[in-house]
Amino acid sequence: MKQLVIGALLGAFALTPVLAADGAALYKDKTCNACHGPTGNKPLMPDYPKIAGQNAKYIEKQMLDIKSGARANGNSAAMKGVMHLVSDAEIKDIAEYLSKLKP
Amino acid sequence: MMKKLTLLAAAMLTATIALAAAPAPHKSGIEGKDYKWNAQEGEKMEALKMKGRVKEGEEAYEVCGACHLPSGAGRPDGTFPQLAGQHSTVLIKQMADIRAGLRDNPTMYPFAISLTDPQELADAAAYINSLCIPPTHGAYEGKDAAAQIAAGKDLYEKQCLECHGKTGEGNKEKFYPVIAGQHYKYLLRQMTEIRDGHRRNANPDMVKVIKPYTNEQLVAISAYQSSLVMPGAMCKAKPAAKKK
Repeated sequence: MKQLVIGALLGAFALTPVLAADGAALYKDKTCNACHGPTGNKPLMPDYPKIAGQNAKYIEKQMLDIKSGARANGNSAAMKGVMHLVSDAEIKDIAEYLSKLKP
Repeated sequence: MMKKLTLLAAAMLTATIALAAAPAPHKSGIEGKDYKWNAQEGEKMEALKMKGRVKEGEEAYEVCGACHLPSGAGRPDGTFPQLAGQHSTVLIKQMADIRAGLRDNPTMYPFAISLTDPQELADAAAYINSLCIPPTHGAYEGKDAAAQIAAGKDLYEKQCLECHGKTGEGNKEKFYPVIAGQHYKYLLRQMTEIRDGHRRNANPDMVKVIKPYTNEQLVAISAYQSSLVMPGAMCKAKPAAKKK
């Protein structure tokens, strides 16, 4: 019973910070999938990048730079709107996850 | 004649290519001299006249759901507003304004233009209107919540109530949004942007009213508004874990 209650609570608050450092869950929860596609290789717009299989170091830096505003070119304005949702540690996890996806 | 046609074709081709990945257009808004709020024109008027189809709207809403969630709840952190429970007129106006470049939203713009025509705007709005209202949303969470809400109530009743209604229900016919039960952080962000002239499709009457308010006052008003219950059909206590 207790497990059920906990399960229901988790369901109800699916938006609260993800407990495990799970890149796949973060990728969805932070709405990355909305623009870059469910597996990182089907971007919404032709001028949004495919990111599946990208080098983790590179993509982590791009995320950090867009978040900080150091990178403000291209479509970064579109992405900056959600970057406050992602902590630096979570960025690392997402980058790690993306680097392992099939391009 | 032939030359003219060729020129026309070339112009059209250029337009199409430009459209493929064009940045959002920029339509003169609150900052312009000739701005008329909610001008009765454009695809908004077409969409408003159409009958929204819930079933087709569910499909159209799919791109929206990635951020606003399939439930239409948005996010308590205020990044994305709750859509469930909002007036269809308001939903259509905001979508049309973003598409027309009158409300700047670089994050949402590419999604907004993925809807093909006024009928899809009407459909998406109809689908959103068919959603039940999530029982919880982002509220003011400070220790002084009670005091903030009380102070906000006083302020709200002085100047906001006249348009947004006694219980924050807005006005569908007048395109005034429901603000009751919206995420606290979203309300605060929008009011701040309207006050500071950054929300370019704002109603000048509201801008005039809100101009003198301090940040602290906007916090209190947002706290109060988010403490109100959004009118409409609430979801059952256990939110449906709806499969996509």
